[in-house]
Amino acid sequence: MTPVSTAFRRFHWLNGLWPWLCAASVALSLLMLGALLSLLLVRGLGHFWPATLEEITLRSGDTFAGHAVREVALPQQAGDERLYFTGNRDIEGARWRWVAIDEIAERTQPVDLIRLERSPWGDFIGRLVALEQPDQRFEGDAAWQRLTALLALPANQRQDSQLQLATADGQTVRQPLANVISAQAPNAMSWWQKTGAWSEAVWLFLSEGPRAANTSGGVWPAIFGTVLMVILMSVIVTPFGVLAAIYLNEIAHQGRLTRFVRVGVRNLAGVPSIVYGVFGLGVFVYGIGGSLDTWFFSDTLPSPTFGTGGLLWASLTLALLTLPVVIVATEEGLARIPDAQREGAVALGATRLEMLTRIVLPTAAPAMLTGVILAVARAAGEVAPLMLVGVAKLAPQMPLDDEFPYLHLERKFMHLGYHLFDTAFHGEDVQAAIPLVYATALLLVLIVLGLNLTAIFLRHYLRRQRGNEC
Amino acid sequence: MIPPRLTSTRQPLRQLQDRIATGLITAGGLVVLLAILAIGVFLLWETLPLLAMGDTLALAKLSPLAWGTLKAALAALLFAVPVALGAAIYSAMFMSPRLRSRIKPALEMMEAIPGVVVGFIAGLILAPWVERHLASAMVLILWLPLSAALAGLLWQWAQTRLRGRLSFSWAGVWLVPWLVLMVAIALWLTPWIEQQLLGGDLRQLLDQRFGIDYATRNALIVGIAMGFAVIPGIYSLADDALADVPSSLVEGAQALGASRWQALWKVALKAAGPGVFSAVMIGAGRAVGETMIVLMASGNTALFSASPFEGMRSMAAAIAIELPEASPGGQTYHLLILAALVLFIFTFLVNTLAEVVRQRLRRRYNQMEATS
Amino acid sequence: MNTLLNARPNNSRTPLALNNALARVAMILLLLITPLAAAQSPTISGTLGAVGSDTMAGLMLRWGEALTAQHPDVKLQFQASGSASAPTALVAGTTRLGPMSRPMTTEERNNFIERYGYPPLELTVARDALIIIVHRHNPLRALTRQQIDAIFSTTRACGADSPIRRWEQLPATRDWPFGDIALHGRNLASGTHGLFQQRALCDGQFRNDISEHPGSSAVVAAVGESANAMGYAGYNHLTPAVRALSLYNADGIAVAPDEGAIQNGDYPLARDLYLYVNLPPGEKLPPAEQAFLQLIMSDEGQQIIRASGFVALPQRSLTPPRMQQGPVI
Repeated sequence: MTPVSTAFRRFHWLNGLWPWLCAASVALSLLMLGALLSLLLVRGLGHFWPATLEEITLRSGDTFAGHAVREVALPQQAGDERLYFTGNRDIEGARWRWVAIDEIAERTQPVDLIRLERSPWGDFIGRLVALEQPDQRFEGDAAWQRLTALLALPANQRQDSQLQLATADGQTVRQPLANVISAQAPNAMSWWQKTGAWSEAVWLFLSEGPRAANTSGGVWPAIFGTVLMVILMSVIVTPFGVLAAIYLNEIAHQGRLTRFVRVGVRNLAGVPSIVYGVFGLGVFVYGIGGSLDTWFFSDTLPSPTFGTGGLLWASLTLALLTLPVVIVATEEGLARIPDAQREGAVALGATRLEMLTRIVLPTAAPAMLTGVILAVARAAGEVAPLMLVGVAKLAPQMPLDDEFPYLHLERKFMHLGYHLFDTAFHGEDVQAAIPLVYATALLLVLIVLGLNLTAIFLRHYLRRQRGNEC
Repeated sequence: MIPPRLTSTRQPLRQLQDRIATGLITAGGLVVLLAILAIGVFLLWETLPLLAMGDTLALAKLSPLAWGTLKAALAALLFAVPVALGAAIYSAMFMSPRLRSRIKPALEMMEAIPGVVVGFIAGLILAPWVERHLASAMVLILWLPLSAALAGLLWQWAQTRLRGRLSFSWAGVWLVPWLVLMVAIALWLTPWIEQQLLGGDLRQLLDQRFGIDYATRNALIVGIAMGFAVIPGIYSLADDALADVPSSLVEGAQALGASRWQALWKVALKAAGPGVFSAVMIGAGRAVGETMIVLMASGNTALFSASPFEGMRSMAAAIAIELPEASPGGQTYHLLILAALVLFIFTFLVNTLAEVVRQRLRRRYNQMEATS
Repeated sequence: MNTLLNARPNNSRTPLALNNALARVAMILLLLITPLAAAQSPTISGTLGAVGSDTMAGLMLRWGEALTAQHPDVKLQFQASGSASAPTALVAGTTRLGPMSRPMTTEERNNFIERYGYPPLELTVARDALIIIVHRHNPLRALTRQQIDAIFSTTRACGADSPIRRWEQLPATRDWPFGDIALHGRNLASGTHGLFQQRALCDGQFRNDISEHPGSSAVVAAVGESANAMGYAGYNHLTPAVRALSLYNADGIAVAPDEGAIQNGDYPLARDLYLYVNLPPGEKLPPAEQAFLQLIMSDEGQQIIRASGFVALPQRSLTPPRMQQGPVI
């Protein structure tokens, strides 16, 4: 007996622990997934909740107002420091403030603190002193009521009103009402009012375009661009994927070559998406797009029409990328149809076309649908190839509008995934963008997971149904 | 009895339709296959000018990127392979079938989470946190497996009543709160231990004692983030491979006196070895090509360094940020396309290998089932 | 001691360039000779197109937002694909406005003249700067040009003796116990990368262990998170999470990158942001473009520059125009 196996015997009870490590792997994976999703949920949705405003007095006597964002440990010394969002960039020069917690003398939450969203300077946090109109002047509570009434009007009907505001440390500023977008007094709001404000903010996030160079506002153009691109892509990928699958499974001679091709298609699903992006850029954009430009759009050259990234090229690239997914899924569906059904149809005198359209395709339709949904889910979350073939940081013009020819295939478009990357890395201020990035990430994950769940349930449901049939 | 027949005038039309349809389908299928072939041809064609330039600089520029790619993939696999294989072994061998039918899709969901989201969390949230709490992060890496073993020991010594209530086949689920508790304990205790044992910050100690530099975005972060993205792929395939092992094999071994774990380790794992291998290969292919996670979490430093605490730049990330600005026809353009070609060939080879191994394995199982 | 410190961000590289103040004068004159009634009437419509710099994308967009707030019928179409795309688009005639974060090269200008017979109108609209940033608690306050070069480059083309790798090597941070300086910067394709290389490294080579981020705000965020970090970024991305370092000028005086120093060009790494306009002599712009330029020069437009994080141009008294080319004679 070798010494190793004696040791093995002696610590036999340790052997019983291996399965526990395996079980913990499952638990760890679930934990990570759960942690990621709950982080996105909490931070993504929490951003829209009206934050309580605090008035902070420091030991130095300095006073400011804002809401706490996060805390980190101070380098080199004991204790933490806290980051406050203070707004008032036009007055203070910055909208953030780091304060060591030890320096804070007093924290209060006065109910009269308000938060205004303005353009172009972003948020104001402070107090409303008065609202001045050419003929009238409102103060105190009346001013606040008048302000909320005026904000309900369109911007051009409140040109002549002015707000007199005071910061927490007593500076007064004047603010034309025309530049104010919204006003909120979160400390005075009840829980119900906050819920209302929260759902309104979520709705605005989903339905509005980005404002102030992507630092506020919503993601509607990105949702629209993503959906439009994905629809175009599925219109392209479905027929070709299905055709290729039918060819491979029903028509091609099942020899060595077909098997080889099948392995090849399967492997293309594993080729990195960025490679497809490179292909799209080189062939679609520079190759085909460039030629189209010289043939049809030579009057606008050298500025490219189709010779630059756009909706069409992005959809085509992603269609190519998701082609293997559709082919593989459809083939699986086709392979599951018993040969007896095909033979039966042919024996009854059906031609191959009739056999395919009446017997094979209806039976395999669910599998195709699953394949397309999976393809859509993959395309919706893909960013890297899009960076090369037509996604834009900001596309004020939608690719679909009321101008002839309505669908502008050459236009660049916005995409949720790229919008996320862009706001997180290219924006003006990452700290300000992070809550929006969380919300965008949550939205993207929800869309992709929703699509995947649909595919899974569809497959389950249909399999069970077919199981009953057999 | 004469079967009802269509009128003979429609017969040639039907034949014609059929022939046209067959032709169309064949054409469509061939177009798709050609399009797929075109990718390889295009990449090869576009790298040819690089040969004409006869520039040896190309290799010098590409080699740190290749190293970065391999380093990132290796880091991801070091984290993902043990976790994914452990999870696969547990779910294929020990988990209750009802639970498995729920857990498996849930874990496969992980794969659907877009890389850009994982990259954002890793680069902007996880990386700064780990930098500030390096000791806690290192302790967690050791402490998590230990705490799983601890759970096992406690369970073995526990009363049988408790065992009945917390059955091992559901351990994958009820270990989650246990792990959360353990993580909380570790995070709570580590700063104190760090202060007591090391007398300060682990990072400063690494720097002063060992001269190890720590970059915020490094192989450790990329490994965890990309590992997260790669785990579901490896898990799913390995789980399939293990579940496909004919049950007669494992039962036979157990009948001969082997414990469940021994039967699994010596028989099932050996039988499913090729399948597991191909799962790992496919995971490697995914890790090599993943773009957004590396782009956002790696720091993009073109370094030749093996340190897990230093960054790297991968080929995919370099393509993504540099190619849109590279003028077509220029040297950078061709160089980046060469990088894409390398990625393409590498992943294609790895995937083909995996596929071939898997198919061979499936045939072997079929034979085994047939003989037994 | 020359390139960096003497590279005042003026635009006198080409004979036709306008002085900042003169640009404003030109603008005001341009607006005066055109019927103001057209600009004030609320019925301005049309598409306003601009192609060019991505640094200025946020700024152009904010201006556009303000314009559509005044004239809801004006449609905006901005393409921000880099400064190099502006001259091409201007020559091609697809746009009349080309924002650029650097002046046109002689070649680009000649192409334009060849096509149209007159040079483009160059307006300096705002000022920007490259800042060198450290963590907010870092005791470092200022760097010399040689120090920057010694920290960021391998070539030390600006004349430093030895590379600086660790915080202890800088006198101000002798007690900053964070070991190696972790460097952060922009990726190769960005203009910021190129400008920093040219102006701060004396055209030398970057070290290869610099983390290259795909955006300036990512650099700021990364430096703000780690105490051992140093990086370079655009001035408009500055936040209180980091501290922008002062730079020593030729006279040995540390100049902080504040609005004043960037505005009058004392800060060595300042640069101008330009708007090129295709305007034939004696003609006037279409109403949408004209309203846009009017907005830029208005108080609101100048405030938007500051709100976008850039520095507005100095307000100087009107001086008689000395333009060699202009919209009006």
